[in-house]
Amino acid sequence: MKLEILPWLILFLPLVAAGWITLFTLRNQKLSVGLSIGAVVTGFVLSVLFVAVNPLTPAPQELSLNWLSIGEFQVQFGLRLDPLSLLMMLVVTGVAGVIHIYSWGYMRGDRGISRYFACLSLFTFSMLGIVLANNFLQLFIFWELVGVSSYLLIGFWYEKPAAADAGKKAFITNRLGDFGFILGILTVWAALGSLNFGVLAEKLGANREALGGAATLAGLLIFCGAVGKSAQFPLHVWLPDAMEGPTPVSALIHAATMVAAGVYMLCRVFFLLNAGALEIIAWIGGFTALISALMAIQQNDIKRILAYSTLSQLGYMVMAVGLHGPTPAMFHLTTHAFFKALLFLGAGSVIIACHHEQDIWKMGGLGRKMPVTFWTFLAGTLALAGVWPLSGFFSKDAILAEAFERHHYALFALGVMVALLTTFYMFRLVFVVFFRPARAEPAGHAVESPQVMLWPLRILATLSIVGGVISLDHYYRLQFEPAAVGAALSWTAQLTHPFAHAPVPAAFGLAAALAGFACAWLLYRRADVDPLPARLGPVARAMRDRFYFDELYQATVIRAHDFIATIADWADRWLIAGLVVRGTHGTTELIGRALRLVQTGNLQTYAFLFALGVAFVLWWVLG
Amino acid sequence: MNTLLLSHELLVLALGLLVLLADLWLPRGLRRHLGYAAAAGLAGILLFSFLAIRVAPGEVQYAFFEMYALDGLALFFKRFSLLAALMVLLMSVEFAESMPTGVSEYYALTLFALLGMLLASSANDFALLFVSLELITITFYVLASFHRSRMTSLEAGVKYLIIGALSTGFTVYGIALVYGLTGKLNFNELAAVSSSLGGNRLFLFGMVLILAGLGFKIAAVPFQIWAPDVYQGAPVPTTAFLAVGSKAAGFVLLLRVLFVAVPEVSFQWGSLLIVLSAITILYGNLCAIPQRNLKRLLGYSSIAHAGYLLLGIAALSRDGQSAVLYYLGGYLFTLLGAFTVLCLVMRQVESEDIASLAGLGQRSPLLAATLTLAMVSLAGLPPLAGFVGKFLLLKSVIAQAPAQPGYYGLAFVAIAGVVISLYYYFGVIRAIYWSRTAPDLSPIQPSAPIRAALYACIAGMFYLGLFPGTLVNLTEEVVKVLR
Repeated sequence: MKLEILPWLILFLPLVAAGWITLFTLRNQKLSVGLSIGAVVTGFVLSVLFVAVNPLTPAPQELSLNWLSIGEFQVQFGLRLDPLSLLMMLVVTGVAGVIHIYSWGYMRGDRGISRYFACLSLFTFSMLGIVLANNFLQLFIFWELVGVSSYLLIGFWYEKPAAADAGKKAFITNRLGDFGFILGILTVWAALGSLNFGVLAEKLGANREALGGAATLAGLLIFCGAVGKSAQFPLHVWLPDAMEGPTPVSALIHAATMVAAGVYMLCRVFFLLNAGALEIIAWIGGFTALISALMAIQQNDIKRILAYSTLSQLGYMVMAVGLHGPTPAMFHLTTHAFFKALLFLGAGSVIIACHHEQDIWKMGGLGRKMPVTFWTFLAGTLALAGVWPLSGFFSKDAILAEAFERHHYALFALGVMVALLTTFYMFRLVFVVFFRPARAEPAGHAVESPQVMLWPLRILATLSIVGGVISLDHYYRLQFEPAAVGAALSWTAQLTHPFAHAPVPAAFGLAAALAGFACAWLLYRRADVDPLPARLGPVARAMRDRFYFDELYQATVIRAHDFIATIADWADRWLIAGLVVRGTHGTTELIGRALRLVQTGNLQTYAFLFALGVAFVLWWVLG
Repeated sequence: MNTLLLSHELLVLALGLLVLLADLWLPRGLRRHLGYAAAAGLAGILLFSFLAIRVAPGEVQYAFFEMYALDGLALFFKRFSLLAALMVLLMSVEFAESMPTGVSEYYALTLFALLGMLLASSANDFALLFVSLELITITFYVLASFHRSRMTSLEAGVKYLIIGALSTGFTVYGIALVYGLTGKLNFNELAAVSSSLGGNRLFLFGMVLILAGLGFKIAAVPFQIWAPDVYQGAPVPTTAFLAVGSKAAGFVLLLRVLFVAVPEVSFQWGSLLIVLSAITILYGNLCAIPQRNLKRLLGYSSIAHAGYLLLGIAALSRDGQSAVLYYLGGYLFTLLGAFTVLCLVMRQVESEDIASLAGLGQRSPLLAATLTLAMVSLAGLPPLAGFVGKFLLLKSVIAQAPAQPGYYGLAFVAIAGVVISLYYYFGVIRAIYWSRTAPDLSPIQPSAPIRAALYACIAGMFYLGLFPGTLVNLTEEVVKVLR
């Protein structure tokens, strides 16, 4: 392995930037922005350099340092470098770099811009930590760190109560998942005695049954972590609210990278998951994909539509993992990172142009006024809809093919259904926002965003278009199925590969996209108010109100929690604080005051007490 | 004889004399800055020590008929004392403004006290032990009462003098008894015969009296009675030096007497040490609770820390001894950081009440941060030095527990002590940041050397808290000369 220093640099540069900004340059906004952007862009350049000199091979490499060693107790801090982590490192630094630059334009003029960039750098560091971690403990620490940075960034405009509440909601909901996650980690540790991924894989490779009866349980507990972070049913409720954060944050953290960390983690420990656990994972993923696609249909806030779409696509990825397909899952994760980041940034551009209006029914006619935003947004939409030859088609097709080949026809049908819904709600968005005349004042005066925001759009649009034919799946296959991997195909061959390899899923995927587009065309091409509520009535309302999950949780979980809290509060106030603490505190304080009386300040007393002390020790030793 | 063995002592002695002489020629206005020169001299000696003095692991070099020993342990404590004195001198320069006359004497006396500590680190004979102990104590009598115009300072000096003289009386009587019985003063020679003396009541009587004298130095119960008054009355740099340097000298002597001279006897004293350590921890922490005077609070806290350090001695094991050294290392940065801040704050406001810290967070973020970190480290919370130190001490005690269940009780008391101490340490932090009224919000600008010293303290606290490996290896290595 050449240039071993680079991964360390890539990992720690953003932390240095975050620390430096927080400590020294908070008041110098330009310098703060420069430091933050510089750290991540340098990270990307170094990542490219590192991958260029160390070609991807299936054999994993580890770099590790002894972090703590006290006696036999040792804690390692290690980086695991294999195709999975290296590609993910490229995606994270690349997408984060682009979004950092975009943020510079988007956040211009905000008073807290230094704080914003410090948090963003902290996030980049934490995310890279997850990607590169070589053991569960380290992964968990960084896992919590991304949680913290996500909390800080969702609540960035903390003066807004909605933003502060959304930050809390995200953090607390994630706690629930992480509680299961740490239990899972402990289960694995108890059963196998190690937390290092390489060691665990070896142990399980030698003996498939090493986890014994705890295998399914451990798998599902670990999956709990992913349920929280990747917002799967039943913990999906935090993600839409997280849209209260600045739009670039939504793009980076709540679409492209952090929420994908759950999927990444599942792929990282794929060897731990047995068939029983995977079956459940697949269904939870599929179910999440379906309900969130349905919810997306009746949302009117541009960012929320994209948020539900993110949920739905994450469900897709989780489903792919559950179908024994980490390769398609990671493939879709990567292309999704490109096009969903693009869509969010596009939405950000629209929102800025409309003076922070987010309701799509108050927009309209923006296609003409904002050509770059419009065309790049359209590219992202087509990619998400899975239209050949854009990237989304290939990755989505890989997932559908996986379901089809495993004869999992129920999930296959579900996947096709979701694909149809996806195209439908995305074109609903496009028609309403970009076509027809403007429906409200701000949209009428909209102008195109500055170049610093447009270039990121162009870059991401390019990636979204070609992402399917740059051999991404080939490299991921190096990680997961090194035995089955052949030579990399040329890009032309990749273009036609799905049709040759598995024509049925490809045909179904395209048909679904077409059908979704047709529905959207019929309903929304000329609409100025949403026609669906009138036609579907209560069903549409249920979709709009997110199938009442929040209300359900409010009535059950939160009510129960409040009840327990009331009891705990009583016990704390009267039993613990009153009896135990007050009592102990009172006694302690009393003794303290009494002992102070010994200290009279009188020298004779002191000398006497000293001699008494000597006498006491003499009595003890000799008596 | 190889004079290199004594080079630390000779250099410090020369530096002390130079400071005294320079006082004669320097104009009045410049005398205050002599402290910087002395500190620079100590920095030079420290550098020299690291570059030129080497002791192979386990090797002991002797001088003066084995009275003086230079080994890893001695070297550790010499460098420790040099570093402590260096920071105390920097602090004294800040403090010098409030001293009417004799600033140079203050510096020189600090250096002579340091000389005593250097000798104590190497004492391998009761004669040298006594001489070094007295050198330290007598200089401190003067240093404690240096504020001649202040009653409290004079009172502190007199109290220290009289109780000190009392303890010296006990010590010298003990030494006389031991010598009368065995005809030996040298630790190595005593070790050869001490195994047969474990049951001799007269010998034990003598040893207890000697330990009383050392107990006085480290301020352990039941010999702690002087500490709060003296800590409170003495000038801040003196208090700091007393709390760090003098205490460390007491501990190195204690280690040598217990584990070089009379190891067989010490191993019988497990339960005594457990009881003393436990009472010391509880006494220090409980008495600190109602204190409003910062120096007095730190005085009681220093008694509590003597108790924690005794944990490592009570463990009667290599791990315990090395933990004592580690703890002292962390204690150096933590306590000197705290005292430096107090010195700067009290120079401005004449009050020593906790309330005088109000608004420090706005007056000087650096001072506030240092004091906060120092309190957190003293309380023993991660990721600072105090945590690792307490962890190692407790670990050594619990390792002994299967053989003697009393150690479980001791560990419990130590943890209870930590919990109690959180209350008053966080009271200080609360005063810094959350005081309702802050009468004075004028910024405090520390001088460049002080800033450097504060940064060094912060770095030391974090380094020892995050990367304990290096120092743990070192301390484990140097305690190999002990039994």
